[in-house]
Amino acid sequence: MTDDRLVIEALTSGYGETDILQGATLTLRRGEILALMGRNGMGKTTLLKTVMGLIPTRGGRVSLDGVPINGKPPAWLLAQGVGYAPQELPLFQDLSIRDNLRLALRGDRDLATALKIVERNFPFLLERLDQLAGTLSGGEQKMLILSRALMTEPDILLIDEISEGIQPSVVQRIETALKAEREQRGVSILVVEQNLGFALGVADRWAVMKLGQIVDEGACDAASRETVLKHLSI
Amino acid sequence: MALLLDIATTAALLFIVSAGLFVIFGVLKIINFAHAAWLTIGAYTTVVATKMGLSPWLSLPLAVLVGGLLGAVTEIAIVRPLYRRSLDAILATWGLGVVIVQVITLTFGRDMQMPPALITGTVDVLGLPYSSYRLFLLVAAVIMALAFVLVLERTRLGLNAQAVIMNETLARALGINTSRVRLVTFMLGSAIAALAGVLLTPLSSVDPTMGISWLIGAFMLVMVSGTSVTALALACLCFGAAQVLVSTWISPILGSVTVAVLCAVMLRLHPKGFARG
Amino acid sequence: MADRVHSSPKRGRLLTRHGTGLALLGLLTLALVLLGPLFLDRFTQNVLTRSMIYAMMAITVDLLWGYTGILTFGQSAFFGAGAYATALILTHVGGGAQNFALALVLSVILPMALAALVGWLSFYHKSTPLYASVISLVVPIVLSQAIFAGGSFTGSSSGLVGYPVMKLGAANYFRLAGVALILFAGLAWIIVRSDAGRVLIAIRDNPLRAAYLGIRTQRVQIILMTVLGGVAGLCGFLYANAGRIVAPEIAGFGFGTQMIVWTALGGRASIFGPALGAIGIDYLGAQLSGSMPYVWQLIIGVLFVVMILFMPRGLAGLLPRRQRTAAAPTLATLPDRPQESSKDALLSVTGLRKAYGNFVVLDGIELEVRPGELISVVGPNGAGKTTFLRCLSDGTETIQGTITLAGQNIAGRPPEDVVALGIGRKFQVASVFESMTVAECLRLARATHERPTLWNRASGIHLPSAALDILALTGLDKKLAEPVSGLSHGMRQSLELAMVVAMLPRLILLDEPTAGLTKAERTLIGEVLKRLTQELGYAAILIEHDLDFVKEISQRIVVLHQGRLVMDGPVEEVVNSELVRSIYSGMAHD
Repeated sequence: MTDDRLVIEALTSGYGETDILQGATLTLRRGEILALMGRNGMGKTTLLKTVMGLIPTRGGRVSLDGVPINGKPPAWLLAQGVGYAPQELPLFQDLSIRDNLRLALRGDRDLATALKIVERNFPFLLERLDQLAGTLSGGEQKMLILSRALMTEPDILLIDEISEGIQPSVVQRIETALKAEREQRGVSILVVEQNLGFALGVADRWAVMKLGQIVDEGACDAASRETVLKHLSI
Repeated sequence: MALLLDIATTAALLFIVSAGLFVIFGVLKIINFAHAAWLTIGAYTTVVATKMGLSPWLSLPLAVLVGGLLGAVTEIAIVRPLYRRSLDAILATWGLGVVIVQVITLTFGRDMQMPPALITGTVDVLGLPYSSYRLFLLVAAVIMALAFVLVLERTRLGLNAQAVIMNETLARALGINTSRVRLVTFMLGSAIAALAGVLLTPLSSVDPTMGISWLIGAFMLVMVSGTSVTALALACLCFGAAQVLVSTWISPILGSVTVAVLCAVMLRLHPKGFARG
Repeated sequence: MADRVHSSPKRGRLLTRHGTGLALLGLLTLALVLLGPLFLDRFTQNVLTRSMIYAMMAITVDLLWGYTGILTFGQSAFFGAGAYATALILTHVGGGAQNFALALVLSVILPMALAALVGWLSFYHKSTPLYASVISLVVPIVLSQAIFAGGSFTGSSSGLVGYPVMKLGAANYFRLAGVALILFAGLAWIIVRSDAGRVLIAIRDNPLRAAYLGIRTQRVQIILMTVLGGVAGLCGFLYANAGRIVAPEIAGFGFGTQMIVWTALGGRASIFGPALGAIGIDYLGAQLSGSMPYVWQLIIGVLFVVMILFMPRGLAGLLPRRQRTAAAPTLATLPDRPQESSKDALLSVTGLRKAYGNFVVLDGIELEVRPGELISVVGPNGAGKTTFLRCLSDGTETIQGTITLAGQNIAGRPPEDVVALGIGRKFQVASVFESMTVAECLRLARATHERPTLWNRASGIHLPSAALDILALTGLDKKLAEPVSGLSHGMRQSLELAMVVAMLPRLILLDEPTAGLTKAERTLIGEVLKRLTQELGYAAILIEHDLDFVKEISQRIVVLHQGRLVMDGPVEEVVNSELVRSIYSGMAHD
């Protein structure tokens, strides 16, 4: 049995006439946290959306434990244990925290169990279940998004810029939560990030995306920061 | 006093007639021009049911059933393929309406039908005799509005529908089967419209084209209300009042276009209508 | 003005080979129409007279809906207004030549006035196509109810009948309707193929781009609606005379939707399709509806639904699409906008703040841009960059603070007015006209400088040399006659840039013009931008993520972060600053 869980090969996709992904190849292994970095507009978010079946694949393939999953709808992937924390408009601002969490479950029967999992990492959410999601602060919203994805106990978790625009203390809490989940359940996590400090702190490996392709990858060590910064050309 | 009762019951009638269209527009964002045909079908369900010797009350659940089934077929065959061509969806549902009206004409003839009323007679309201059926409509509209709020706020379907209304992409990303939500919503909207058709029978003549006269008013009310039930209720009350006043003091014929004209002017001056924001 | 032309390109010949064929067909039809009464019985003549009047109505619907994208259910109102104006004059004032003339004039003027009002109601900045359709539904309903309410004056539900009409006889009414139809169809055919016709299609395909080319889309829509309202009124005049009866139904929305059915079945955006659709359906309907009235309606209804679902182009879609045989137009050079020596700020932004409810997107932005400057705006996602460009180019955005362009406050000015002050905006996703050729897109970009004619197409396009450079460097100049839909992503980006430059703006706004382009294409765009600003004195504001690219081409960088302008300075200083490094590596927190 191989340790490769999510395998993305030469994946191409995009919007309208434009191919944003242009043959991206990347592998997520069992129980690892992989940080995908790159500047804006390079195709990181598009990669996650394509894997989740929110954008049709135009070329290449994606497989989960050796089974091709191209073209499967999000509902199917979620049922297979793939969790997703999106970046763009990620919450129903006018619904309560409870309803936002409920919507990630197919029925209300599992809600109590799921809330226990939320409590494990971010107990404050349980005290404010009736508050509207839109009234949470930026950091609290990010924690809600992450809780919603973790609550279904996924085997594989795709997270899009969870650290964007939030304070260091919250970034720290998120890092702790992700590491704990990995230790306890062996979940494989792909984080798309612009925050270099957070990404290299939480991940085991990194990869850099440029113009729709993975241009470099490696293990996280003392030299990673300089290598990645060079790729981001600053 | 009679004027106030007229206003209240007219508003109730407008609400009942618009409700089905409102549900469909809210979730699917398309205008269902077959709405008029659903109203007509509802009314003819009463005609058929009573001819078969059934109680007119039975035609209520019967209409819900017929409307729901037709709604399902329509959603799958016509609305779904036109999901991204919303102006064409208006046309196709209009065409469907024409087809249904002709089928009804071929089956039942053009003549007006007179099914027995659900409730007859009058009751005294503060010493004033008033049509008990119109009062019944008032109750029916209130029940309907409460049911709307309950379904939206308290049921899983309502929550899923809200999710689709607010952010369809996210709903899909969370694994909600959005096309099923659309199908169920369309069925519900069609069923409610058919039900409204039954409720119309004692007040409106029952003939193949009866639905058309209600369509535009309902359509305009939905346009000014957006996706809020409260806004729809408020719009029905305001414009219902205007309609009653114009009909009473100026001319009943002009009264019939009051709702449409006022809604159009309102949308021009304040495009969001009664919806907050 | 800089618009003086160097060489004057020849106008295209009105009659191409295709046109000659159609002109022959027109003459043949004309002969048929004139001789028809010799072979047709009186009933058929009467029916066909009506059908041909309806065909003209279908063409008006086609011009509005098929070509300009305005789905209207309300043409019947203008038809009804014309018919009733005629019938009312003839009923209440009486016959006689001067009264016929009066009726004719009123049957055109009244519907035009009504149509202008409806147009004003329907088309305003940020109005939606659905809203225009809604209004078009309300108008015929109001009008027919007004007729019902008119009592004996309008004849109420039974209409007006037995008024004196022009005594031409069935045969001559047939001929009159036929000649009118041929003339109108021919005229419409010429207009939709003219440069002005391209403006209509531009509004249908991409109203936003059209507005940002400076085209006053709402005004064009209102004028079109007014003119076609007059045509509909004229049809009503003919109808009231030939038919000797007017009834409220002809002003109603049922009749309005029938015109949509004819147009959809015949084939929208084809002029002849809708005309033939109207004649075919109305004539067959008259023949068949005696024996099976409802079945006929049923068949039409089913056909209509099927067509909308599966054949949006209608029966005309069955014909093979004509190959575009138009020769590539010639390009002529315009002088570029002369360098502006003035050192005054071209654009100045003070205290700009933009919020959606409680969510503040931009706050406290101060910026000055002088001629010849190229300013790059950088910043992470969600920093407010695109919103910033929108505020600069659309004065109707609700903002705090002031934005002045060339000394004028842009507050309250819609995009087409801001464009007139000298802004050109290139969108992030190339915004061009999908159904047109490269040359047609470029000509539209010149529409505000060289008024497009109604009758033909100019065979040449005058472009400033900077725009010609873009075309030559990308090879677009070899593809002038090719449809835009076949262009690569990079070509579209270049075409849009050429269109923006062709407007001779003073300040060009570019939103990530290099996203998704190849290395070679990026270099090329970079060269063009350098030349535009450094040599030719255009000013430009560029949103860009690629700092390498930014370093190469601009002098000044502005950094937006969380809605605030956190840095404004020379390239080297900003790029090497600790702040930018930390923003880009995610370490910056306020």
